[in-house]
Amino acid sequence: MPDVLVQYQGEIIQSIGETFYMVGVSILFAVLIGLPVGTFLFLCRKGQLLENQLVFSTLNLLVNVTRSFPFLLLVVFLIPFTRLIIGTAIGTTAATVPLAIIAIAHYSRLVEQSLLDVPRGVLEAAVSMGASVREIITKFLYVEARSSLVMGLTTSIISFISYSTIMGVVGGGGIGDFAIRYGYQQFKTDLMTYMIIIMVILVQSIQFVGMSLARWLDKR
Amino acid sequence: MIAIHQLHKRYGEFSAIQDVSLSIPSGAIYGIIGASGAGKSTLLRMMNLLERPDSGTVYVADQDLTQLSSRDLRKARKSIGMIFQHFHLVANKTVRDNVRVALELASYPKAQQLSRVEECLRFVGLEDMALKYPAELSGGQKQRVAIARALATNPSVLLCDEPTSSLDPQTTSEVLRVLQDINERFGITIVIVSHEMAVIKSICTHVTVLEQGRIYETLTHTPQGIQSPGTSSAYFVEQLKEGTADA
Repeated sequence: MPDVLVQYQGEIIQSIGETFYMVGVSILFAVLIGLPVGTFLFLCRKGQLLENQLVFSTLNLLVNVTRSFPFLLLVVFLIPFTRLIIGTAIGTTAATVPLAIIAIAHYSRLVEQSLLDVPRGVLEAAVSMGASVREIITKFLYVEARSSLVMGLTTSIISFISYSTIMGVVGGGGIGDFAIRYGYQQFKTDLMTYMIIIMVILVQSIQFVGMSLARWLDKR
Repeated sequence: MIAIHQLHKRYGEFSAIQDVSLSIPSGAIYGIIGASGAGKSTLLRMMNLLERPDSGTVYVADQDLTQLSSRDLRKARKSIGMIFQHFHLVANKTVRDNVRVALELASYPKAQQLSRVEECLRFVGLEDMALKYPAELSGGQKQRVAIARALATNPSVLLCDEPTSSLDPQTTSEVLRVLQDINERFGITIVIVSHEMAVIKSICTHVTVLEQGRIYETLTHTPQGIQSPGTSSAYFVEQLKEGTADA
């Protein structure tokens, strides 16, 4: 292993840990909240099962506004909110707040798009069999959209990694922050290059796992 | 079995169904035929309220569907099977799971679900296909899976929306044979919407001809041929009579 990597081993491992923590929380919120929000965006649309103009417009606006922010500005804008719920706006945990919010907005939009691709007829067949809305979602909608939901999540996770690299501005740490502090600010170009290589490997692996899983799930 | 009274349905300016009343006796194979846009599918879809009428009543098994709460409507739908022109199977479920989902929705006892699925698949001749996915089946096989799915919960009525319109003639007769079999063996009332004269002629006991959202004529198929209560010269009615006279 190159000397610089050995020399900074401890800090590198710590920043990788921070990146995993930040991205992990983002994934958690994307799935726990983004998935239901995206599902409601789909179901409340005109002509869909729970058609509701008010709910649709509200969610749609929230998602659009959140995604309109340049992410760095969103982080700064959310500082009072972060301080309110975490108690501080500085550090890795504080950094997860804006990440979770952008994660929800990002993934919910992809969920909505995936669900729009489910053939209408399948949902109609479900209704004709007497399925409730909950049963339609779990036994038909998610089953039919599953590989596209996985592909969407893969795309989202890669965006979350990218978003997490700028969390250094609020002391969030992570690989990106490490690369900037040492590689850019202290002119250790070799160290920066190694960090970029780590990121590339990480993104490649996630893409590979996501695509393989999606392909395996797709029986259409 | 099904009694429809003064049904109306408009889409904006367009009157899809106007003052339609009809009565479908238990055990019938009831055909609804007409040109495209005549409102046949709309009429069929009102028999399980996939489409809600603007006014009128829809009695199925002595229950007015239009008066039911959404919970009771869901319950009623479990005894009204439906199949579609494009099958509408869940592509990511195996043949077995496609049929099983109907049982799950009807809270069929878990322990007996698999054997019931097998029974239904055997009935449509697809017991060897249980673990295949719809993409691996032919059109006729997909429609038979859809029939097995609709049959699984022992419905009293089976609604068929252009069930053979995307199939070739050979598979069409296969599917029609299965439908006839269902009707004879289980006494299930069948309603078929089709624009194909041959389909209606080959298995229907009663036929209603729709034109621009209204009933043009209703005929009964007897061993002597098609009996028409009125006298009309509509194309469909002519066609229906001609065919049976030749046979």
